[in-house]
Amino acid sequence: MAVQVVKVRRPAATFSSANPWIAILKGLWVSIRHFFGNLGLFLRGRQDFAIHFPEQRLVQPPALRGMPVLAQMADGKERCVACGLCEWACPTSCITIYPAETADEVERYPEIFDIDMSRCMFCGLCEEACPEEAIIMSRQIEIASYSRRGSLWSKADLLVPVDQLKTRTDYIRRNYER
Amino acid sequence: MSNPVKTVKVTVDNQVIEAPEGATLLQAMLDAGLDIPHYCYHPKLSIDGSCRLCQVKIDGMPKLQISCNTQVRDGMVVHAADPEVEMTRKGVLELLLLNHPLDCPICDKAGECWLQNFSMRFGARYARTIDTRRKRGKRLDIGERILLDQERCILCRRCVRFCREISKSNELFVFSHGDKSVLDIYDKRLDNDYSMNVADVCPVGALETKDFHHRMRVWFLEDTASVCPSCSNGCNIMISSARGKIWRLAPRRNDEVNDTWMCDAGRLNYKFVGDNTRLRAPMVAGEGGPAEAGWDEALKRAAGAIADFVKRNGARTLGAFASPHLTNEENFRFGEMLRAIGAGRTAMAVPRGRQDDFLIKAEKAANARGVRELGLAPGDDDGLEAMLRACESGEIRGLYVCGGDLLEVGQKERVDAILGKLDLLIVQDLAMRPRYDRAAVTLPATTFAEKEGTFTNHAGRVQRIQRAIATPPGWRTDGEIFTALMNELSDRTERFELESVWAAMAGDGSRFAGLAFDKSGRKARRSTPLDRRRRARRLTFHRVKVHSRMAA
Repeated sequence: MAVQVVKVRRPAATFSSANPWIAILKGLWVSIRHFFGNLGLFLRGRQDFAIHFPEQRLVQPPALRGMPVLAQMADGKERCVACGLCEWACPTSCITIYPAETADEVERYPEIFDIDMSRCMFCGLCEEACPEEAIIMSRQIEIASYSRRGSLWSKADLLVPVDQLKTRTDYIRRNYER
Repeated sequence: MSNPVKTVKVTVDNQVIEAPEGATLLQAMLDAGLDIPHYCYHPKLSIDGSCRLCQVKIDGMPKLQISCNTQVRDGMVVHAADPEVEMTRKGVLELLLLNHPLDCPICDKAGECWLQNFSMRFGARYARTIDTRRKRGKRLDIGERILLDQERCILCRRCVRFCREISKSNELFVFSHGDKSVLDIYDKRLDNDYSMNVADVCPVGALETKDFHHRMRVWFLEDTASVCPSCSNGCNIMISSARGKIWRLAPRRNDEVNDTWMCDAGRLNYKFVGDNTRLRAPMVAGEGGPAEAGWDEALKRAAGAIADFVKRNGARTLGAFASPHLTNEENFRFGEMLRAIGAGRTAMAVPRGRQDDFLIKAEKAANARGVRELGLAPGDDDGLEAMLRACESGEIRGLYVCGGDLLEVGQKERVDAILGKLDLLIVQDLAMRPRYDRAAVTLPATTFAEKEGTFTNHAGRVQRIQRAIATPPGWRTDGEIFTALMNELSDRTERFELESVWAAMAGDGSRFAGLAFDKSGRKARRSTPLDRRRRARRLTFHRVKVHSRMAA
């Protein structure tokens, strides 16, 4: 086999990629901003800077990857067609799907769709792999349970109506160029 | 070789390849390991030339030629990586995908689909059409075991040729012309004995087997090369397993045995492996009927029962039924065990059924010939009649029966009467059967998918089977059971290892003498899960890079 020279097309250098210290300054700016912001609040008399969870909760940004959930359509059925791509993409193999056939036009649905939350590492590869926008990284992060069995979420537990996931679906459409 | 085949030299992309004279250019290039996309060409079917994907540039020819319908000529200069060829492939694939439904997420072929693979490798990756895609019949029930999806069909007509040339039953046709062409059945349903092969030859998901429909994704399947256990033809197969279960059997090419085909009955005969009624532990007769026992205890009980029986009646009154479902190695060890005991008679019951003049053979067991060659089944009827007579006359008073075939050879009353008056019955079978309930010990047998060994087919060809499914911990395969009993009943301390058993078989002066036990090629895997993971990671990495470029 002859040696082959492959020319790789690299993206042209931009101002920010040529000057990496800008990113460092940008990062530092977050800390500086918070430091002086909080300092100002403190000087004006504020004593308590903590968020009192669970009484108080932050509104999480859409980029947050919480627990993966299944999108539920208006008719109560799941959007998932059990194609198995999330199962394949999952680095921790926490998803188990057994497909089955329906009389519907989509032919196929997951008879069993289990996610072992004790194994899930919230990487979001399932969401990225999904061709149907059926598995979504929700903003739900309170998923502790008292038993290992409780960490095994079945399809019925995972279904969330689509309109409640709109923030995240908009976000992934924007970011994954769908 | 009185008439040697002349070889010719062809230059493909500056690489010289050799091919026998008269071969097609496509086959020559594929044999040389070149990556030429094609759909309609199948080595075991006639040439159709309908897909136009295998076109290459040949010096001296005015236009691109389809390589599947071009014969190799000495000194031919072929360009398969020419920009013109690449552009043509891209165009052909774009046209094939013009009306393809792209329902890969619900298509059983996804992952092993030629349209997917070639589109990703040679296609344009993006669709330029804005028109709606053509609607056609989906999930059409065209046969007992086959579903047709006309939208996915790319009209390569492999299935049509299969039905015309191999099964010779002419069920499938392409109707209408041009844009309106559609694959369908006409006057009869696709119900021939080999109908499921059309799903194999189909390069896309247009023809699917109902058995595998919506059951498992192919990328989770691990393929193990083995031999079909359902009849004495010994068709080479791939066992596709995942999650400790067999999901399908598919034919594996062997031009000497089955080409690339197998019958539907054989393909569907795998469910007994994962059957719920199978024995999970040995059963030992007790006061309240058979009860589960540990392996060591059951083997001790079996050995003790045989020893007692031999002491009371003499070893010559013990008879044995060898099983045509067990491997050569196991049957050889069975024979050794019987010799160590000094048993009187052996026989074999072979289930029989329908046969045809293609692949299906009458003997519905994989290794009947192997048992005969090992001398465990003397006589024209494999010693069955003589054994039954000996049992009736009282010459044989105890039986060691492997398998349930004895109950399926007919003569029900006669066999029942014999089983009823035996002094000792030891059974080795997959499940408990009511007619074997008098057995002192019932030992669980192991199926073809859970062990290694060889089968001898009807023509005397010795072929390897390999383990696809793991047995539970502590499980004894049939050969290990025979070995344990032999060790208990004699002063031998053998182990059941295939290599040493094979050496003993070869040293026995049998027809295994000239054969070498092939240790290589233990597992024909498509890829290991680790490989797949690596590939997945590479893919993701690549995509991340693409995103960052888009953002930049």
